[in-house]
Amino acid sequence: MPVFRYPTVSGVARRVRAVLGLEGDVTRGALSEPTRTNAGGPSAVGVAPENMIWIFGTGRTGSTWLAAMMEEPDGHDVWFEPRVGTVFDPQRFQRHGGKHFILASQYKDVWLRSIRNFILDGANARFPELDGGYLAVKEPGGSVGAGLIMEALPESGMVLLIRDPRDVVASWLDATRKGGWQTRRRGEGGRRAESLAETKPNAFVRRHANAYLQHVGSARRAYEAHEGRKVVVRYEDLRADTLGTMKRMYGELNVPLEVAQLAKAVEKHSWENIPEEEKGQGKFYRKATPEAWREDLTRRQVKTVERITAPLLEEFYPTVPAEQQG
Amino acid sequence: MPPAGEETGGMRPENLVWVFGTARTGSSWLSAIMGEIGGYSRWHEPLVGHLFGNLYYERAGHRSEDEHFILGARYREIWLGTVRRFVLDSATARFPEVAAKDGRYLIIKEPQGSMGAPLLMEALPESRMILLVRDPRDVVASNLDAHKKGTWTADLMRKGGKEKPPSLAESRPDAFVKGQARRYVRDVGNAKKAYEGHRGHKVLLRYEDLRADTLETMKRIYSALEMPVEEAELARSVEKNSWEKIPVEQKGDGKFHRKAKPGGWREDLTPEQAEIVEGVAGSLLRELYPVRSNA
Repeated sequence: MPVFRYPTVSGVARRVRAVLGLEGDVTRGALSEPTRTNAGGPSAVGVAPENMIWIFGTGRTGSTWLAAMMEEPDGHDVWFEPRVGTVFDPQRFQRHGGKHFILASQYKDVWLRSIRNFILDGANARFPELDGGYLAVKEPGGSVGAGLIMEALPESGMVLLIRDPRDVVASWLDATRKGGWQTRRRGEGGRRAESLAETKPNAFVRRHANAYLQHVGSARRAYEAHEGRKVVVRYEDLRADTLGTMKRMYGELNVPLEVAQLAKAVEKHSWENIPEEEKGQGKFYRKATPEAWREDLTRRQVKTVERITAPLLEEFYPTVPAEQQG
Repeated sequence: MPPAGEETGGMRPENLVWVFGTARTGSSWLSAIMGEIGGYSRWHEPLVGHLFGNLYYERAGHRSEDEHFILGARYREIWLGTVRRFVLDSATARFPEVAAKDGRYLIIKEPQGSMGAPLLMEALPESRMILLVRDPRDVVASNLDAHKKGTWTADLMRKGGKEKPPSLAESRPDAFVKGQARRYVRDVGNAKKAYEGHRGHKVLLRYEDLRADTLETMKRIYSALEMPVEEAELARSVEKNSWEKIPVEQKGDGKFHRKAKPGGWREDLTPEQAEIVEGVAGSLLRELYPVRSNA
């Protein structure tokens, strides 16, 4: 295991604080100039594709928390939402299937290599000193492109991070209501979202349930197709037994890690260690209580989410849905 | 940036000719004329500009200063270099005949990727560029016709195994017009931005001039871009692709080849719809059509 520390782009926890206005700046100050590397070649300097661990799923599944823990051990770092998956969202181009289209299937070997270079160039430029270390890529918002990314980087590891869609939607609803952290963060755009969450909450719920299906569905298909190292992590398991779940995750990914380092990371980023004033309704750290949707959503909203996300809900949360309970 | 022919073992960026603007500006016609001339090939809408431009300008434009963002400003030179290789490698794979010989050119018809034109031209500064524009009122009128029920766009979708969903063009035409005018501003606005920033060979071309005197306008293009062409061959291609040569049954309302009539918007749009377009795209209209906009 590498024991050195290197300058990170910026810590996950620090980034979250900055985004929420709890800290000033998210840049890392004086740094060396970006380096261009030969990403297409063998993993010589910087980030090796086999040492990348992609976290896909969707927002509000605990990916920031997971990434913060993954960033802690020596020789590990986090690429925080590059959004590269959004570039290569195949659904965006469904009607452009011809041979001239830049991502035409006839030329897949060419453009998959380009996608690979695009990612590795970006990673090596940002993490030049991560030689032999591990890079977790927190990319829930880019999950629509998970399939092509994992196909371009078959040596990489993949985490499919999921959470009960009812809790995910409830969390978004809270975040985008008046005074919610997402509303404050987005300013003008947020006010529009807030108005939908406030004025048409059922439409908002429907929209976010569909987004869940799209994002987690894409990530799920990528997971199924990926023949390399991979693991499904449920937020609920992570909450119930964080250390045990983290150990299982790294074990499945075949990443060697000292338990003491892991335990330290888990402890540092535990719910209990978040200051009380940063937790609660309307805040980024809200409840962290699985099944809180029972308090947060109306019965109609629950039914909407269950209907839209049924394939994923049945697979990962195989209990009787609320609409079938009494 | 290193010479691309060396870095990719193939396509030279100076042999790429990008056609930007927006849909329904006559780009198919223009690229057909150019693509049929000896030594020239045509890449029909790769949409690479949309691939990168959509995230950069629309979906995550607010993150440009974020150094984690894949298209972040701090690493611009690096990702532009990757975009450059992305285009050149793809072009080489598709058009080996252009890559293999000196003096051959690839016409890239990319009106629907114009959103990303500034990124592409920055990544490929040696390339040539055509900014193809048309009166936004005619562009919107053409799109309004194209998206009605039973038109060529529905046929196109059916060929791809899909049924065209109901369009705003039928149910809320004024809203459709507004949306199309905004799209015009986005596409032509970014293409114009790319044109202004591009220091290589470039030419601004109006559809209306191409209709009024096709051969002369085409000659002007080749001259401005400093590309060789035999006048007789150019004249033959112009003639072959002329409006008059298109069979009558392939022309008219609801067809891909509709009317090719500058100013046709006066018959196609309601006064309110024309006002909507002029309100949204007024700035570009005045700039690109300083006289016609007052007509």
